[in-house]
Amino acid sequence: MRGPTLVYLLLCALTLFTWGVARFGLHGLGASLLVLGVALVKGQFIGDWFMALRGVSGFWRWAVTVWLLLIAALVGSAFMITNGG
Amino acid sequence: MEMAAAVETQNMEAGVRRYPPGDLALWIFILAELSVFAVFFAAYAFTRAHHVELFNTYQATLDRNSALANTLVLITASYLVARAVGAIQLGNTRTSSRWLWAAVGMAMLFLLIKGHEYAHHFEEGVRLSTNTFYMFYLSLTFFHFMHVILGMIVLIVLAVRTGRGHYDAQEYTDIESGASYWHMVDLVWMVLFPLVYVMQ
Repeated sequence: MRGPTLVYLLLCALTLFTWGVARFGLHGLGASLLVLGVALVKGQFIGDWFMALRGVSGFWRWAVTVWLLLIAALVGSAFMITNGG
Repeated sequence: MEMAAAVETQNMEAGVRRYPPGDLALWIFILAELSVFAVFFAAYAFTRAHHVELFNTYQATLDRNSALANTLVLITASYLVARAVGAIQLGNTRTSSRWLWAAVGMAMLFLLIKGHEYAHHFEEGVRLSTNTFYMFYLSLTFFHFMHVILGMIVLIVLAVRTGRGHYDAQEYTDIESGASYWHMVDLVWMVLFPLVYVMQ
C-alpha cells in the first residue's frame, strides 16, 4: 500500500498548491492553465492508482485520461478566448 | 479466437486486466456521469467567457478555505476506500470494513462542511436566480453534493455487508464497484474545485 499512500500525499500537496494560487492572488491565463494542469495530473493519479486503471489494457485504460483531456480542451479554450484576448 | 485467448492469458500473467475493477455496467454508468459533468464544466467555462467580471466578482465571495478542507476530505475518503479494497483483496474483512466506515465518516464531514457553506450563502440571500455565477455555482456543487450522498449510502451498505462477512478475498466485486463510483465522485471534484473556486 506504499504506492496509494504516496499518491495520497502527493494529491494533498497539489491541492494545497492549487489553494495557494488563489490565496496569494495569482490570476490570469497563465495561473488558470497551471491550476487546470494540476487538476488533470491529480485526476490522472486518481484514475491510475485509486480506480486501478493502470493495471487495465485497451479502451478502459485511457477512459479517464480521455475525459481529462476533453475537459482540458473545453475549459482551456474557453479561458484562452476570455483571458487571451 | 485462440489468439485472443492467448493474449488474454498473457495479460493475466503480466497482471494486466482487460476490464476495470468492479461491475462493467457500473463503469458505463460512470462514463455517462463523467460526460454529464463535462458538459456542465464546459457550459460554466463558456458562459463565464461572456460574463468575466461578474464571475470573478462573485467567485471572490466563495469560501476557499472550506473548499480546500473539502478537497482534502474527499481525497482522504478515496484513499481510505482504496485501503478497504486492498484489505479485502488480502481477505482482511474486518480491516476492510473499518476503512469503509472511516470513508463514510469523511463523506459525512464533506456534507457537513458543504452544508455549512450553503447555509451561509442562503443567509446572505443567495439564490439560483441571484445571478448567472451563483446559478452555476449552486447547480454544479449541489449536483455533486447529491453524488456524494449516493456514494456515502453505497459505502455504508458495503461497510455493513463487509462487516457481516459477505465478501472475502475471492469475491469482492461489489466493493470494487462501490469504490470506483466513489473515486468518480472524487475525480469530478478535482476539476470542480479549481474551476469554480480558483480559476479567474
